[in-house]
Amino acid sequence: MLTAKQNMIECMKGGHPDRFVNQYEAIQLLFHPFMFVSPLLQPGMENVKNAWGVTSTFPKGVPGAFPVHTPDKIVVQDIEKWRDYVHAPSLDFSQEMWDQCKAMYDAADGEKAFKAAFVAPGLFEQTHHLCEMVNALTYYIEYEDEMHDLIKYLTEWELKLAEGICSHLHPDMLFHHDDWGGHDSTFMSVNMFNEFLLEPYKEIYGYYKSHGVDYVVHHSDSYAATLVPSMIEMGIDVYQGCMETNRVPELIKKYGGQISFMGSIENAEVDFEDWNDEKCEAVVRRVCEESGNKYFIPCIAQGGPGSVYPGVYMSLTKAIDKLNKEKFGIEDPDSARMPIQIMF
Amino acid sequence: MAGIQEVYELVEKGKAKKVAAAVQEALDAGCDPTSILNEGMISAMDSVGTKFKNGELFVPEMLVAAKTMKNGVAVLKPYLAAGAAGAAGKVIIGTVAGDLHDIGKNLVAMMLESSGFEVIDLGVDVSKEKFVEAFEANPDTKLICCSALLTTTMPALKQTVELLNSSPFRSKIKVMVGGAPISAAFAEEIGADAYTADAASCAQKAKELAA
Repeated sequence: MLTAKQNMIECMKGGHPDRFVNQYEAIQLLFHPFMFVSPLLQPGMENVKNAWGVTSTFPKGVPGAFPVHTPDKIVVQDIEKWRDYVHAPSLDFSQEMWDQCKAMYDAADGEKAFKAAFVAPGLFEQTHHLCEMVNALTYYIEYEDEMHDLIKYLTEWELKLAEGICSHLHPDMLFHHDDWGGHDSTFMSVNMFNEFLLEPYKEIYGYYKSHGVDYVVHHSDSYAATLVPSMIEMGIDVYQGCMETNRVPELIKKYGGQISFMGSIENAEVDFEDWNDEKCEAVVRRVCEESGNKYFIPCIAQGGPGSVYPGVYMSLTKAIDKLNKEKFGIEDPDSARMPIQIMF
Repeated sequence: MAGIQEVYELVEKGKAKKVAAAVQEALDAGCDPTSILNEGMISAMDSVGTKFKNGELFVPEMLVAAKTMKNGVAVLKPYLAAGAAGAAGKVIIGTVAGDLHDIGKNLVAMMLESSGFEVIDLGVDVSKEKFVEAFEANPDTKLICCSALLTTTMPALKQTVELLNSSPFRSKIKVMVGGAPISAAFAEEIGADAYTADAASCAQKAKELAA
């Protein structure tokens, strides 16, 4: 039996995976020092300002934190003077902080799982966190130059972060968030997306790949089928969070070999108040049947292992294990993977 | 008339900075203010909504078109008969309790406003009682639109619609629901009058329901 990591590599290259990759089993998400300086919010925390000055709230019972954009809390009060408002936080960390993170990397079993640097939010998300969503989307049309400059500034910061991560932590995978759409469509046209985001991401992902990272996984739990060619050009190996609205089986036929797709299990279908194992298993069976085990990883759409309702993520994991036993005779998947990580 | 056509094109293309002058020129040229509103602006937004629904335009284009219309209406308003700008009726809109998503709700509010409705936007994380209070403060409201973007807030949507359904003013209003995890079947199950999948469809359905 292949280890979870070997199996994921076979899946991504269209080789000989010996089972379905089971959600995040082959991806150990690991932190970098900035995440301790500007920590991710925990459920129940309200109105917490991060290192960029963005205020967020994480109500209990929702999948993640939200920026709070009452007029007084919007960071960029005037897009033409964004430099007066946006101040990139320092990325100079002590060796001790890097060592603490490196210890987490060293503790992960690199035979069984990728050591994946977790980076969020991405460039597009950061623009609307700083400006507020409606403002930001309007600025992409009305203040093109300012948005290009703002994205360039954010890109330079991300590249400095990448330099620190690669030189101190040596990940072999990057897991990068940036939500580019809603359930049924992308936030912007392909042309606008490419005009603003293609080159900056080519630069960021190119840096990681030329400094020891083998695979880039990009999270966008949305429709983004029209952006897949751009994703490939950026250097993304796995599009995580792909919702069923993307028509994943068609994407696999068209782009398999250039990119893989991780998702198809939408939270809305399995992660609700009266969830149960039967419903989870039914969805798992359907998506696995539709998409197969090459270039496809059945996975909850959300951007990290876990679910809103406790138990759902593990129920999905067990359903995929059950299917792997039935279809491929895999008896003891736990021996080939690290303990299942639940982040949310 | 050429003036109205120019306003239409500016709204459709989202030229927010140019529309005020174009509306003023149309007025100066003797165009009927109500025609400028209906044929110049609301028609243009109908076209934008249809293109959005068909995937030809995206959220940024829709936002700048709505902003353009708003700028145009600001010039036009003193010339319109009282209430003409919100002639289609009054709508109360909000995202239900526990849910902070506002993009979809804002788009729906903009499309409703652009379709001639007066919109009372209660914002996000709105309790069911607040929807009722908003109606009581605005008893001429024709529609109440509620959105939920999370599976965890679908119960709050259900409770909101239940409260509206048990209210004495229920026969005077139509209740519309929307949001990513919501479906027509769920809308029917909880007793809402309509579900639509996107902002443009919502505006169209709202016009039918309010007619």
